[in-house]
Amino acid sequence: MTANISPGTKSNPTIKPPKLNVVPVRHYGRGTFAVIVCVLLVLAIKGLIENPNFDWAVVGKYMFNGAVLQGLVSTLLITVVSLVCILIVSVVIAVMRISKSRILSSFAAGYSFFFRAVPPIVLLIFIGNIGLFFKNFELGIPFTDVMLFSVPVRDVMTPFLASVIGLTLAGSGYVSEIIRAGLISVGRGQHEAAAALGLGGGQALQYIILPQALKVLVPPLGNECIGLIKTVALVSVIGGGDILTVANAIGANTFRPLEMLMVVAIWYLIVVAVMSIGQSFLERRINKER
Amino acid sequence: MSTRTTPIPDPVAMVPPGVSVSIRNVDKYYGAQQVLHDVNLDVKDEEVVCLIGPSGSGKSTLLRCINHLETINTGSIVAAGQIVGYRMHRGRLHELRPKDVGNQRARVGMVFQQFNLFPHLTALQNITLAPRKVKGESSAAAAAYARELLARVGLEGKENHLPWQLSGGQQQRVAIARALAMRPEVMLFDEPTSALDPELVGEVLSVLKDLARTGGKTMIVVTHEMGFAREVADRVIFMDAGRIVEVGAPDQVLGDPQHERTKAFISAVLH
Repeated sequence: MTANISPGTKSNPTIKPPKLNVVPVRHYGRGTFAVIVCVLLVLAIKGLIENPNFDWAVVGKYMFNGAVLQGLVSTLLITVVSLVCILIVSVVIAVMRISKSRILSSFAAGYSFFFRAVPPIVLLIFIGNIGLFFKNFELGIPFTDVMLFSVPVRDVMTPFLASVIGLTLAGSGYVSEIIRAGLISVGRGQHEAAAALGLGGGQALQYIILPQALKVLVPPLGNECIGLIKTVALVSVIGGGDILTVANAIGANTFRPLEMLMVVAIWYLIVVAVMSIGQSFLERRINKER
Repeated sequence: MSTRTTPIPDPVAMVPPGVSVSIRNVDKYYGAQQVLHDVNLDVKDEEVVCLIGPSGSGKSTLLRCINHLETINTGSIVAAGQIVGYRMHRGRLHELRPKDVGNQRARVGMVFQQFNLFPHLTALQNITLAPRKVKGESSAAAAAYARELLARVGLEGKENHLPWQLSGGQQQRVAIARALAMRPEVMLFDEPTSALDPELVGEVLSVLKDLARTGGKTMIVVTHEMGFAREVADRVIFMDAGRIVEVGAPDQVLGDPQHERTKAFISAVLH
């Protein structure tokens, strides 16, 4: 053991630095507040567990119910698909935002303003019911009769698709701004070095700028991910088939809505805990690479 | 707005033989402030030229104009046989497409004061990226040449180091190798040793000296290292306030300056 210890090593467990022998300051306010917090926490948990109107057996029964688990899978699926769409749309919008073309950058600015301003639930209800406004999705050349294609809205706009579109629009308003910040964080010297070597704008973005921006972007994007999975619960208003949709349906049938919400809450706690661990793991790895 | 201007002569045709960088009547403004005043300079093939002068005299700006990192307001620059940033068509200059600017820049290497290595790529990847992506070299060929260049700048065995694992002097030597990997005809150095710890300046200067002695490339070096300029430069150019004030052999400009402004500068930097 001791043979391995070399002088000057930073963390040497055998060396105990001396400590000044002093009477420490007593933090009375801190202590009192800690006691209050603990008491309140105990009371809250006790109230929930011992409440005669709340049937924990129902929670246990439906935790692993097939329909609930299917809803959970739907939630995860909507999250993943939306996330991929959000990232793609956001990179495009962020690049447009920093474009030298006034029209493109104005469009991108307007896009993020609009979709950050409109509440996601409003967007979802609107897109979920878009069939009420438009009978067909069609693409034609404006002011002519040329029609490239036309499909009935009801055939294509499933709740799943409506959910993904709504969440993508709502999310990309924010995420494009995050990505723009990441792109800007890469210094001018990097752009110049890439240009001086003859790399084109797209190549510089792909090989030099985006990889470096990504490192800055991992913490905020991780937060956005966790935010997104919670926003997915909103798709229940258009019957998106997520875990909350399922739980609400069961709750209405069994007259146990609160117990079913508890099931949803517990599943969310588990999923978000896993995601948070993944996030901190990813951040630590990136920090190690520096 | 677009009035028909009288056709201008082709700048390339006016370049004397044996000249690789030709700067003619160049003015450059930042907003309303003029930073280059009627700069004229011909640098011959394989010539080593040192640009010296006080801060803000326009040396770096002039250098950056040569690979179109800055645009000029009047005049023309011809480097490696092409008008920098433009092409002639029917007596008028036409802006080049970004891709063509990139192809031009591939023939003019640049080394920056702050190295500007790509921090997420290893030394080898830093060097091979542009040859692969711009010139379409195979990974194997690019890597082989990169190793050769790393050896030349004294960094064998550092292929897989990331920039932060290298000292400033080593980073700058990788940056030099990275620029050389494109096999440019002209090399531009923008104060390559100014950001280095004093004890690391020597290793970078010795790489530069080796490059200058080996020949084969036109070198334009913006520097404050007077000893280096005296030793390797074919000509020294003193700039002040956006103008070329004095041009001559190193011994003449540094040892026996003619112009008052040059005398003041030289005596100040040599104490």
